[in-house]
Amino acid sequence: MRKLLWCVVLVVLLVVASALAAEKTWESQPGEFKGQTITVLITDPHSAVVESWKPEWEALTGAKVEMVVVPYASLYDKMMTDFITGTGAYDLICWPSTWAGDVMGGGWVLPLEDLMEEYGYPDWDDVVPAIKLIVSWGGKVYALPYDGDCHMLYYRKDALENPDYRAKFKEKYGYEYNIPPKSWEEIMDISEFFTGWDWDNDGETEYGIAFIAQRKTQAMWSYLDIAMQYAAQPGVAPFFDPDTMEPQVNNPGWVEAMDVIQKLTKFAPPGLLSYGYSELRQAFVSGNSAIALDWGDIGILEQSPEKYGSKVKGLLGYGPLPGSMKTYDFKAKRWIEGYNQVNFLNFGGWVFSISKFSKNPVPAYKFATYFTAPERSLLDVCGIHGYTGANPWRFSHFKNIDKWVEGGWGKDSVTKYLETIQTILSDPKAITDLRIPGAAEYYDYLDLYLAEVLSGTKAPKDACDAIYAEWVKITETHGKEKQKALYRESLGLPAE
Amino acid sequence: MRKEATKFGFLLPGLLYLMAMAVFPLIWSLTLSFHRWKAATAAPRVFVGIENFLNIFSRDPRFWNSLRFTVLYVAIVVSVELSLGLLLAYILNERIRFRNFFRVLFLLPMAAPPIAVAFMWRMLLNPDAGIVVKILNSMGLNMVRWLTDARLTPFVLMAVDIWEWTPFMFLGLLAAMQSFPVSLYDAAQVDGASRLQIFWFVTFPLLLPIMVTLVLLRAIDAFKLFELVFGITGGGPGTSTESLSYYTYTVGFQYFDLGYACALSWVFLVIVLIMANFLLKRLRKEV
Repeated sequence: MRKLLWCVVLVVLLVVASALAAEKTWESQPGEFKGQTITVLITDPHSAVVESWKPEWEALTGAKVEMVVVPYASLYDKMMTDFITGTGAYDLICWPSTWAGDVMGGGWVLPLEDLMEEYGYPDWDDVVPAIKLIVSWGGKVYALPYDGDCHMLYYRKDALENPDYRAKFKEKYGYEYNIPPKSWEEIMDISEFFTGWDWDNDGETEYGIAFIAQRKTQAMWSYLDIAMQYAAQPGVAPFFDPDTMEPQVNNPGWVEAMDVIQKLTKFAPPGLLSYGYSELRQAFVSGNSAIALDWGDIGILEQSPEKYGSKVKGLLGYGPLPGSMKTYDFKAKRWIEGYNQVNFLNFGGWVFSISKFSKNPVPAYKFATYFTAPERSLLDVCGIHGYTGANPWRFSHFKNIDKWVEGGWGKDSVTKYLETIQTILSDPKAITDLRIPGAAEYYDYLDLYLAEVLSGTKAPKDACDAIYAEWVKITETHGKEKQKALYRESLGLPAE
Repeated sequence: MRKEATKFGFLLPGLLYLMAMAVFPLIWSLTLSFHRWKAATAAPRVFVGIENFLNIFSRDPRFWNSLRFTVLYVAIVVSVELSLGLLLAYILNERIRFRNFFRVLFLLPMAAPPIAVAFMWRMLLNPDAGIVVKILNSMGLNMVRWLTDARLTPFVLMAVDIWEWTPFMFLGLLAAMQSFPVSLYDAAQVDGASRLQIFWFVTFPLLLPIMVTLVLLRAIDAFKLFELVFGITGGGPGTSTESLSYYTYTVGFQYFDLGYACALSWVFLVIVLIMANFLLKRLRKEV
């Protein structure tokens, strides 16, 4: 009798435990957050993702999602003001992981280990390692991945692969260029060659190259695409000397890159300096240039002639960042002759974090895991939900080609596009973006003096010297030793 | 005694409001201006004495650049707005056809919110799709980089300001002109004065006090230039259109260097006070 009683108690306990365990899942349950409201701070076009999933999740859980959509240029101050004042106006924040030093390092967002352990996470092993890295700080996860970011090269196949044009190019420059172009030296010549004439016979004059160049709209990443080749080697980040925290931004490699980008403006459309990321994408898919640099977004816009006015569907080729024929070794203080190509994880990717002042961390976590789950996030990156700003970041995103085809892609195109992105993201020697505290400020000064170089009001060397002086000041203000320790940690180097 | 307490009781809410909304922020920002505080990284505040002020004047070329641009901007836009406003007020004070229609039309730009004006002009001047650029291109001005040439863009910004704020001058001057006694003009005409003489010896001296007031108000407002820079140029190309208030905003709300931003704000305040004092003295002299 006594044994039977124990058995009954055990069974009851097991049932209760399994029932409790069943509730603790990342997958949202019907009516589970009825009457609760979460507020999401987000920029355009990422708001498209939240807009896509919001009605479904609200109907399922009974919660309400409010969005505060701000322009990119205002995101940092809106977010930080909320943190510093402790207002807690936003529960979930979509922010670029390059601000990790301030956001994660400042302790403004919740570490997610507890929530991940309690509720689980939709297939963590499916997340590409480079992306796992960017959501972490000091060994802890502070953000949910949502976007895989790296710049890549886009080129017009109808221009660069045209045999007549290739022959004329060879006649003029004395060599045949690679497809996709392999170096910035080649890019310079190709850009010059395709500037100022109607090479696609649409009745309009076309240009060689387009990139983001407008101040405060992420132009510094266009420059960093070049600087990585002239001032870094695979796996060796070029921002500071990790032993002294001396900024390297005015060494000959960085100056050379500044010179290259200044020269490239001559082969760009007249409106180049007003190109933010939106303007660049729109202009390039409308067919005005032969080459462009961007994250994966141009590929998405390319597929939609009706929605985004693309005139280049199926006409684009994709490739990694071009390399250089020499690179500056800042340790040895000398140029190394020979081909150098570095993959760079510009921006790192957008991520979602929960504010430490949030009053609704659980609904916020479950909403974010809801739309970042493998099958749902695939719809956001492949074009089915249109241009969302999110690029592939899960292994499964790279495998499910059929969904991409459903999103408007040609099978060949998408295969090459995904191959390019996956190669960059899975490169173990790819350089991660600057992630130390003050990264936004370091980059703002880079952006500022770059703008002066692009507009022709400052010489490349003077601009690099000015950036150097500002970077020294910023490092001093944050504390040189502290910055050095964090920089070394961000590079995976041992503490001194 | 009781009467005094009642008076004080009535005054108290107002005083408390004033203390909380004006006096406290001023004292707090003055205190902060003597500190280094990188708020974004949750770093503690460190007292640095007058270091921030020394840095502003000796180590910050961006401050001097923004001050230079702001002073030039204020000088040009206020002068042009005053001249155009005076011209328009003089014309529309006369009995001309469609006078009321034009009066309303000229007031419209001022009625629009400055940030909306900024974004509207940004779209109009967009190099690829802007209608103004397309029209100018068709006139052969297709090589002019309106928003991306560091030598030209400051003047584009000034032109937008003039478009928006000339109505302010026009309105004030027109109201003043309409309040002048007709007898003065009659007397001048009887004395055989020409239109130019009437304007120069009758209208202009009467307008002078109101002109100084309008210039004072407009100059203080123009000195706080922010929305047009934020919406049209973002301070660029480079720093060619970075105004003092935009630079202060950048330091405060982009770099979250709150101590330095407060120091910049105080320097800004002192400059505006000196300018206002100069114009007020001038006003007193005229009156």
